[in-house]
Amino acid sequence: MSWDTKAMTERKDTKGDLFQVGTDAAGLESFFAEARAEAPQPGGDFLARIEAQALAEQPAVRSGVPSRAAQSPIGVLRQLRDALGGWAGMAGLATACAAGIWIGVSPPDGLTIFWGGDAAALGTIGVDPLSSFDLALMEG
Amino acid sequence: MRGQAGVARNDGWDMPFEAMSAVADEDLLAAYAAGDATAARTLTQRLTPRVFGHAMRMLGGDRAEAEDVAQEALLRLWRAAPAWRMGEAKVTTWLYRVTANLCIDRIRRRRSGPDLDSVPELEDEAPSAAMGMQQQARAEALQRALDQLPDRQRQAVILRHIEGLANPEIAEIMDIGPRAVESLVARGKRALEAALIGRRDELGYEGDD
Repeated sequence: MSWDTKAMTERKDTKGDLFQVGTDAAGLESFFAEARAEAPQPGGDFLARIEAQALAEQPAVRSGVPSRAAQSPIGVLRQLRDALGGWAGMAGLATACAAGIWIGVSPPDGLTIFWGGDAAALGTIGVDPLSSFDLALMEG
Repeated sequence: MRGQAGVARNDGWDMPFEAMSAVADEDLLAAYAAGDATAARTLTQRLTPRVFGHAMRMLGGDRAEAEDVAQEALLRLWRAAPAWRMGEAKVTTWLYRVTANLCIDRIRRRRSGPDLDSVPELEDEAPSAAMGMQQQARAEALQRALDQLPDRQRQAVILRHIEGLANPEIAEIMDIGPRAVESLVARGKRALEAALIGRRDELGYEGDD
């Protein structure tokens, strides 16, 4: 509003300067002020039509299972992560896998007392082997 | 001025709408994309008058064409909503650009069409009691003078002096530099002055001061 007032003031100030370049000789500011005051308004029917279109185009409310996420590979990974108990579950699973591989490939000396030499026949000494899957279950 | 018009339009709104009146367009659009129906209604009420008004001025007051353009521009906004990246673009900046481009496309098609000289009559806007015939005549005279400007000059002048936007935002809307905006506005205003200077007395400005 203060802008409009300024425009009106400018118009009065420059009234005597007709035909000088850049002095709003034609009273342009007041024409603009009239145009701003007389902004074209959309009709009620038209607004209703726009609103109906907005609602028709609107994506559905997101529920518990994100529908768009399932369509992308990232969404699938996210779902898997959530199923495994978030990042903590993923970390546990990764640790268990690494431990399983380590024990299998290069068993620590402390474990060799359970089996003789390099024969890793755990069944013969009655130890139920802990697979990475079992470890994951314990962690998660 | 916008603020006052907004308050006038908000009068009939329910509480949820009122609560939304302080929310930024971008946040409303995110709520819209998340399926919030109130956001859809609020955005419609807030943005339609702007888009429609801008289209009316760009198209020389053709209400039917302005409605088509406004509907198309807003449809594009609704469809862009899910992928909208917060902080990258203002909703109104984006809309002014889409609206003006749609209008310029139509004007060019109109020019290349058969009815080369048919200029739509400015429709009766059902003026309020406060707005006299003379005021309406001035607004119409300005619109006719605007219609004679090259498209980009008209767009720049409307954005600067009627929509009241700052040069940096106009530069973003028109995808040009601020100096180019200055130049377009200055040239447009010179042409408007030339068209309107002779009509100043006729339109009753002397009696107003």
